[in-house]
Amino acid sequence: MRYIRIFFTCINTAISKAAAYRLDFVLGNFITLLSNVIFPLVTVLIYANGAQFPGWTMWEVLLIQSVFSMSNALASMICGSVLWVTMDHIQSGSFETVLLKPLSPLFYIACANFDIESLGLFLGGLAMTIISASFTGISGGNGVIMFLLLFISGAAVMCGLELIMAAISFKWVGNSRIPEIFESIKEFGKYPIGIFPKAVQVMSSLIIPVAAVGFFPASALMGRLDMRSLISVLPCILFLLFGVWLYNRMIKNYEGVGG
Amino acid sequence: MMNFIGQKIRMCKAVAFVTYKEWSAYRTHSLVSVFVGPVYFIVQYFIWTAVYGENGTLGGMEFQHTIRYFGASALIGYLTMDFADWNLQMLVQSGKFLTFTLRPMHHRFFALSQKIGHRVLGFFFEFLPCLLIFALLFRVEIIPRYMGWTMLSVALAFLMNFYVNYCLGMTAFFFVRANGIRVVYQLLGNIFSGALIPLSFFPEAVQRIMMFLPFQYTNYIPAMVWTGNNSIGEMGMTIPQAVMLQGIAVIAAALLSEVIYRTSIKRFTAVGA
Repeated sequence: MRYIRIFFTCINTAISKAAAYRLDFVLGNFITLLSNVIFPLVTVLIYANGAQFPGWTMWEVLLIQSVFSMSNALASMICGSVLWVTMDHIQSGSFETVLLKPLSPLFYIACANFDIESLGLFLGGLAMTIISASFTGISGGNGVIMFLLLFISGAAVMCGLELIMAAISFKWVGNSRIPEIFESIKEFGKYPIGIFPKAVQVMSSLIIPVAAVGFFPASALMGRLDMRSLISVLPCILFLLFGVWLYNRMIKNYEGVGG
Repeated sequence: MMNFIGQKIRMCKAVAFVTYKEWSAYRTHSLVSVFVGPVYFIVQYFIWTAVYGENGTLGGMEFQHTIRYFGASALIGYLTMDFADWNLQMLVQSGKFLTFTLRPMHHRFFALSQKIGHRVLGFFFEFLPCLLIFALLFRVEIIPRYMGWTMLSVALAFLMNFYVNYCLGMTAFFFVRANGIRVVYQLLGNIFSGALIPLSFFPEAVQRIMMFLPFQYTNYIPAMVWTGNNSIGEMGMTIPQAVMLQGIAVIAAALLSEVIYRTSIKRFTAVGA
């Protein structure tokens, strides 16, 4: 209960901060939105040139990509700052100030740095999802419930990725290119899974379940998945738990000397 | 004259060497590209394999040509990568630019020499490993068909990227915080440089407009020259025509950077912001 209260207090603080610099907030949101909606442009251009992903219409692929954007935004709001704040503290040797707080360090960093600037991306993704879904059609109540469950699972995967990145920064001090590694892996989750070979499909569904971020929820919404597919929630939760465990485990490697 | 050129080369060598040594301490940062580059390439490979399917040609390019294009595009990125904009903005905002105005060397030449040193490091730790991975592991025909034209085009892309970024960096003389301008340029660059998708996939009107903007000269044209395509874009330019156009664009960017520099330096207060 105490943690929930702290979480909402931090969200309130983030909103108040954004309200103090309104123009900065609006522009920041706009730029974040623009920089994250570029990749659907490739899909639009591919279809505009008369080609296609076999078995998928343009709107179906765009639905996958817009759900991916929404999931990405949600994870960014909750955990997006954990990597940079952790990296900063480790580099300057000031992580003790976090460890001294009477809270879980991970919870404290995530809440205190709630990233309200990703709200624009979330709303943009939501708008794209609604537009795409209006062209593809949705599969009724079951589909929507499955979509919501799988969407939350996808956001859990994205949070897991953020935490693993932050955990790595305890060992690989000050490497600002860590996110690039994971951004490249996320690419596998932005397209219909069937275009990749079996090994990649297994990897992106079970080991690093990035397919659960956009592909599974969007497919559920379109009625392309049956109830058995809900089993894919399991690797997502395990992945998030692994991220939390790894982050807490890596805190023990913190030496307090900067780097 | 020869003395002047000789002195410039010695200065450039010295700054480039120091930058190389300085960044060598962070060579594992560069080695991240050895993972990231091939992963992006694999994704592109599967996307385009699926998309081409039965199609022989898309956007005027055959499948093998498109794959070579993405390989070349990634490699060109390692050779031309630049952050002169960020660096200059930081120097102006912090007031540290003052130390450069007191040195017997133009800051732009200093920054260019730094970039050369930094990219020599990139050549060894990013370009070469990725070239070998593309050629030996993925069996892509990545060796340029016209080596001379390709080297010239990549060199021009290197300069173009530098001059444009330097111009963007100089916006810091006019605005307290100019990060937004950089981000917007990077965003447009991602779309219109041809890094995400070859420009030949864009509508003809967009391709024509791009002739007058700097983006395609940093990636699309050198990548097309690298792949040896003798009919570049909707206009069907030959390689010599495309490289000549690139050369003109670089000269224009260099002149523009000089004009902006002369205007900007009068506004420098040396106290930061």
